[in-house]
Amino acid sequence: MQREVGSLPLAPALRARLVAAGFQTAQELLETGPCGLSKEIGISKEEALEALQVVRQACHGEAARTAGASGATRKCTALELLEEEQAQGFIITFCSALDNILGGGVQLTKITEICGAPGVGKTQLCMQLAVDVQIPECFGGVAGEAVFIDTEGSFMVDRVVDIATACVQHCQLIAEAHQEEDHLKALETFSLESILSHIYYFRCRDYIELLAQVYLLPDFLSEHSKVRLVVVDGIAFPFRHDFEDLSLRTRLLNGLAQQLIIIANDHKSAVVLTNQMTTRIGQSQSTLVPALGESWGHAATVRLIFHWDNSQRLATLYKSPSQKESTIPYHITSHGFRDVQPPAVTQNAEDTEMNPRKRPRREEET
Amino acid sequence: MRGDGRLSRLGWAAGGEPCAGAARLQVLGSLGSMAAKKLRRARLSQELCERLSRHQITTCQDFLCLSLLELMKVTGQSYYDVQKLLCKVSRACAPKMQTAYEMKLRKSVNPSSAFLSTTLHSLDKVLHGGVPCGSLTEITSPPGCGKTQFCIMVSVLATLPVSMGGLDGAVIYIDTESAFSAERLVEIAGNRFPTYFDSDEKLFCMTRSIHLYRELTCGSVLKRIMSLEEEIISKKVKLIIIDSVASVVRKEFDTKLQGNLAERSNFLARGASMLKYLAEEFSIPVSSSSFLKFLPYSIK
Repeated sequence: MQREVGSLPLAPALRARLVAAGFQTAQELLETGPCGLSKEIGISKEEALEALQVVRQACHGEAARTAGASGATRKCTALELLEEEQAQGFIITFCSALDNILGGGVQLTKITEICGAPGVGKTQLCMQLAVDVQIPECFGGVAGEAVFIDTEGSFMVDRVVDIATACVQHCQLIAEAHQEEDHLKALETFSLESILSHIYYFRCRDYIELLAQVYLLPDFLSEHSKVRLVVVDGIAFPFRHDFEDLSLRTRLLNGLAQQLIIIANDHKSAVVLTNQMTTRIGQSQSTLVPALGESWGHAATVRLIFHWDNSQRLATLYKSPSQKESTIPYHITSHGFRDVQPPAVTQNAEDTEMNPRKRPRREEET
Repeated sequence: MRGDGRLSRLGWAAGGEPCAGAARLQVLGSLGSMAAKKLRRARLSQELCERLSRHQITTCQDFLCLSLLELMKVTGQSYYDVQKLLCKVSRACAPKMQTAYEMKLRKSVNPSSAFLSTTLHSLDKVLHGGVPCGSLTEITSPPGCGKTQFCIMVSVLATLPVSMGGLDGAVIYIDTESAFSAERLVEIAGNRFPTYFDSDEKLFCMTRSIHLYRELTCGSVLKRIMSLEEEIISKKVKLIIIDSVASVVRKEFDTKLQGNLAERSNFLARGASMLKYLAEEFSIPVSSSSFLKFLPYSIK
């Protein structure tokens, strides 16, 4: 109630007039009432009423915050967060080695970024996740739906059909082995058609369509409350060409990152982004680094880098707040994203090459 | 691989949102037409549009690139109203949603036009049918391996009727090396399909539907790509070939010089995104050939 007039979310012209007239706090405005306000400032009664409603809305939000109610702020203890995190599901990737290094799978409410050279399997993993998010809870999934925002046009429906068919078969095998009531019931609704119908696909041709879509995403997610995964494949493509104004690009990207974090938290869904690699030309050599610059590196909570080692595909966990850096091999089969048989977890000296700035972790620290 | 009916692809855009379909037929430039959409077509009020145009904000792109505070300043409205405006403008620009199931249904309606068979059985098997319609295919090799020959053969195939595995349409061939030989084209057609091309008339008909453009610089190639949309509709084009992307880029951009790398990537990315848009919009295969050492992004 003691909030200053200058900080209220009113139209700038109106705000300026109020300050010039001598109003200082929101309480004063509310006490004056719409008629008094309109006479003093010289605006119509309707405008005054609108302004007061805005003020009331802003102040109520604040009052709720000071009273400690949940809503606008997330004020809670670390214990509550721990319980929440432990109860939260992960989206499995069907590659057990990758799930292990991620700590269970792709985490909800976090942004995961997948970087890699072309053809290494980023889109394959995204399509796999869009199917895996729909696995029913009795099979260990999160029973959610997926939003797939495609900027490169690499989404292939036939491939998703293959992946989904393999996933359904896998679940059917589990159900046969365990013979439980809820497994069979869940399988009735978990079919190819239902999987495909719950992948919401948006094709964005340039960065403006991408921005527009991300602005509209909160409304879309409120309507489709079962969505647990938002994939943006790839985030780099629309921003890499035709941007002479790099500061605008950084600003737009930061805005995007913020909105995606809000979406991830508010709707309890995982956000997966794919990024391209670019060549950084150094003194004597050139290295591949993730595109979009250094400041973009702060946007994602978890960063995975996919790369090749001769003909073996490797995934490196480059950045994670809770897991150790490691590299694992993976395969892309006709069924989708899978382990290499036999699953061999290699934690090798490649870690130090990947991030020269980070000090390599030693075994004793685990 | 988007392979459904050819011009029916335009149909769904027009059916869903009439103004969006009409907007797409304009000349695009480097960005999609959604970005260049004027704000008054986004259903903003007249006075608001006039007020914004005084600040040089006329298109959706200008509007969406501003931050919330800047928008409050230029529109003179409150925070919550500006958020509503943002949603309104976004709705005018945002793409239409489709579920994966709808995409699959649309494909299964017309499966035969999903690929252009290359008539090389092992290659078709590996590609699961042939050159996919609706996406970019890149052919890469060291010089002399047969890229141009492959392009010429595929041009012939595209002009064949659907019953023979072709696309029954015209071909746009953008030649940057002057390697296209019309005599060779006729020779391939006559020897490969002697029963079909049994008369001179049939051969002339085929050659008339292959439109050759000789572009010798990067700038002219890009300009040509940008102007293709109208040609595709008017000439009923079913295949676009660019032979070759690499030669023209290597001639003009020496990557050892500073700044050239960025400009080269810029040119390639703009061309690629325009070609992808054309491929998807018209559901046609686009094939570009290049040299072996040249692999910028994944032009699949």
